[in-house]
Amino acid sequence: MVRKILSILRYILVFMCLVFFLFPVYWLVITAFKPPDEWFGWPPKFLPTKPTLSNFFGAKETEVFGGTTGSIENIFPYLRNSIIVGVSVALISTAISALAAYAIARYRVGGPFLAEWIISIRMLPPIVSAIPLYVIFTKLKLLNTWWALILSHLVIVVPLGVWLLISFFREIPREIDEAAYVDGATPFQAFFYVVLPLSAPGLAAVAILSLIQSWGEFLLALVLTNDSRAQTLPIFLGRYITGWRVAWGPLSAAGIVTMLPVVIFAILMQRYLIRGLTFGAVKG
Amino acid sequence: MKKFLAIMLIVIFSVFAMAATKISVLVSPDNADALQWLAQEFMKKNPDIKVEIVPLSWEVLYPKLLQDLRSKAGTFEAFTYDVMTTGAVSFGLVDLGEFMKEHPELLPEGYDLNDFIPAVLEEAGKWGGKLIGLPFYNNTMLFYYRKDLFEDPKIKKAFKEKYGKELTLPTTWEEVVDIAEFFTKKYNPKSPTEYGIALMFPRTHTLFYMYLLFFGEYRNAPLGILRHGKADLEYGEYFTEDHKPAFNSEEGLKALEMMKKLMAYSPDPLGSDYGETIEYFNQGLVAMVPQWTGPYLMFKTTLGADKVGIIPMPGRSVSGQWALGINKFIPEEKKIAAFKFITFATTKWADKNKFLKFAVAPARMSTLKDPGVRAADPRVPALEVTYVTQTHRPRIPEEPKLEDITVEYFSKILSGELPLSIDTLNELANKWKEILGK
Amino acid sequence: MERKGKRLVPWLMVLPVIALFLAMTIYPFGFMIWASFRDYDLSKGEETHFIGLSNYFQIFKDTTAIESMKFTAKLLAIAVSSELILGTLIAFLIRGVRGEKVIRSALIIPMMVPPAVSGVAWKMLYNFAFGPVNWFLSLFGVSRISWLGNSFYAQLGIIIIDIWQWTPFIFLMIYAGLQSIPQDLIDAARVDGADWGKVFLHIELPLLRPLILVALVLRIIDCLKTFDIVFMTTWGGPGSATHTYSFYVYKVGVSFGWNIGYASALSVILLIVSIILVNIVFRIVRMREQLGFGGE
Repeated sequence: MVRKILSILRYILVFMCLVFFLFPVYWLVITAFKPPDEWFGWPPKFLPTKPTLSNFFGAKETEVFGGTTGSIENIFPYLRNSIIVGVSVALISTAISALAAYAIARYRVGGPFLAEWIISIRMLPPIVSAIPLYVIFTKLKLLNTWWALILSHLVIVVPLGVWLLISFFREIPREIDEAAYVDGATPFQAFFYVVLPLSAPGLAAVAILSLIQSWGEFLLALVLTNDSRAQTLPIFLGRYITGWRVAWGPLSAAGIVTMLPVVIFAILMQRYLIRGLTFGAVKG
Repeated sequence: MKKFLAIMLIVIFSVFAMAATKISVLVSPDNADALQWLAQEFMKKNPDIKVEIVPLSWEVLYPKLLQDLRSKAGTFEAFTYDVMTTGAVSFGLVDLGEFMKEHPELLPEGYDLNDFIPAVLEEAGKWGGKLIGLPFYNNTMLFYYRKDLFEDPKIKKAFKEKYGKELTLPTTWEEVVDIAEFFTKKYNPKSPTEYGIALMFPRTHTLFYMYLLFFGEYRNAPLGILRHGKADLEYGEYFTEDHKPAFNSEEGLKALEMMKKLMAYSPDPLGSDYGETIEYFNQGLVAMVPQWTGPYLMFKTTLGADKVGIIPMPGRSVSGQWALGINKFIPEEKKIAAFKFITFATTKWADKNKFLKFAVAPARMSTLKDPGVRAADPRVPALEVTYVTQTHRPRIPEEPKLEDITVEYFSKILSGELPLSIDTLNELANKWKEILGK
Repeated sequence: MERKGKRLVPWLMVLPVIALFLAMTIYPFGFMIWASFRDYDLSKGEETHFIGLSNYFQIFKDTTAIESMKFTAKLLAIAVSSELILGTLIAFLIRGVRGEKVIRSALIIPMMVPPAVSGVAWKMLYNFAFGPVNWFLSLFGVSRISWLGNSFYAQLGIIIIDIWQWTPFIFLMIYAGLQSIPQDLIDAARVDGADWGKVFLHIELPLLRPLILVALVLRIIDCLKTFDIVFMTTWGGPGSATHTYSFYVYKVGVSFGWNIGYASALSVILLIVSIILVNIVFRIVRMREQLGFGGE
């Protein structure tokens, strides 16, 4: 009897958790499908009574406000930029973090200091880098390009990636490497063909976390880019806050587009994320 | 992967290099829709120029402008700037007066610089005696109210019974107090709206100009003028005639007291900004709202034009113009292209049609006088009065810093964290002196 | 021959990361230190002068800076500890529940949402007159709360957003950790007669310690950088109630005309504090080695 009550209690708690964590997202989603007169009301409308796609594609009714703030029709270049930057950051960071982490884990390159230095980079406040990076990229003529963002974001995400993978590689027994050497492999080959496949979950975790961090990055994107050639989605959101209204519908629609790719990707890869996040630290 | 990206980048850059002259214009969202439409019209007539309108949110536009102009990187060609940042960005703007002399053939026919409302041209377009911008959005604040409620005989009767006077349209904030109380359910259970007036006193730049609506009433009254002199267009009403802070005075204190008094009749004034107060009025939660010209479009669509009345602001209004300027640090041919665009966007035709289509308030006298315009938009009479009597924020380069410290103090005074006293205002005035380096 | 190759190759492997960091962080770091001793202010022009420790002394007199430190400390203490506790509880709660995989997927969504988007969503929820949060509270007879206009509630509001955003991260890490504890260990203990409490205290918790520590360190570092959600919702108000330190640095360093000198001084302080905090945490737990620092 007690068990049953506890069980029911458990499900209630789980339900409450789900409501708390999902409701804001739910609200964003339904607002994106609401026409302007439904964005606010009392009592709040938990289901759109007149669902519409005008926030996404524009419509005759929203024409009065013009295409830039009436819908998200112009979102594509920004989406493209976010994807290119995000995916590049994820791939490159995984690659170079893995290399560095392997060298540190296996060969203790640079002793404890190198590892600590790399990881402490994460503590550097991004605001501090804004002007110096602006100066660097202006000189390299890379301002307002994808590379400016890719390189800047790499600095932010690589420390975590290295840290995660160092622990991960430590969990893979040295004997496996040794066996490869015995078979005549070079260190590179041992790394590439033997160790790397075994650490797939770790790599996936690094890729996902890098993507998430790059995707949502706001400050450096603001400073280093100027227009739709290279600006990313978080900056795009700002245009819906005008002096005559806040276009909550299109803003929510833009929010969903900003959110969706990362969320979907992470959910699909969550198995790897879970295995990869253990840092190899928990073992019997 | 890296190679592929590099190749893609090279291709894209070469494509850009070979294309027509391209100019990008950084704008605030308020101006974006109108400029986007104007850009399209412009490109039809000028196929050799490609115009990209880049909207950036208000908070982000000014820092971005300042940073790029200081670095002389020339990463964009033209931009809209908010009136109070004129002084701060002036160093990076092309002297349009000189430019027009050098290229008289580029000015559109019938452009007529004298058609601009003189005070607007001066305030939004000139700095240090030079013409650096062309006024685009001659924004100001108006007082919107529920016409249907104010004209309802039953409501008028109830008001008269309660206060012993007629329900008339207010011309001072003192008159607003009783009306606001009447329309607040807490004090008048029979009120048709829950709150009397939607005020926005958030901890953003909004509070800085909202203060002027109240301060202006006292500072620009005869006694105020006697004490502080007339405000000029460079330093505005926050300063005295000889450029000292004017708000640490009896007038300044009165303004804050009035704001605090009205807060009781307003939904969440300290937590509301544009978005919120506009919605409150839209949804019928309040009977009155001081707002810019733009929201009228929303009110018209949601509430209906017959329910929305507009009068000049009780107390005083405040100016909020946007002007178009050209980046100084770009090559000559880009300057020419940018000049063509910004003059196109501010011709008589453009000024009139952007008002009709997008409610972007007009900067030209011809638009205000046009009978078609007067018939189409009922706000023109109120606008004309307002343009003459409105107050002005400082335009000096230190303005953004002054704003932030002021908003912090006012926000704390209104929330009760700091005492509403002359001492607090004196403290703030001292901080101003520090920032101004005096 | 083999030896030589072995010594060179590892350095080659680390090279990309080192090159990236040297190029992209040495200059900013040096610039930050250099600028903190100068009156570098873009709204005043490009000339700068050496002013010694002026900027640093200014910080002590700056009430807003101090208030932002207080709020950031509050945020750190309350939000991070809540996230740790809640995240752990939830991890235990959903293990073995029906539909675990689906629930898991749903629960990690908030951490994937870019903070700017979270700000937008919560701004709608916290709306005074029409927001769902106030509506929900009204069902219990609670009158409307000004989530953005009242100092206490604004601070609480930001803390709640932070908890909402990052508890899933802690949850994920703890959950992942629990998954990788070998089941035979637990079975053996149960056979020996241990109840759930003992299993938790003597087996699961100790094994989870490194993970909890990593999560704690990451959260501390990131929490000190909280900026986006304040920017989108309260803009630091009312007054300076919800100014986080990083938000203040942004305002000083970007928003009002790039007072880079002062912002750099503020950032140097932030950096020092981050380093001290992290070192304290590590020292308390003495887990340096286990986490890959130092010898194996």
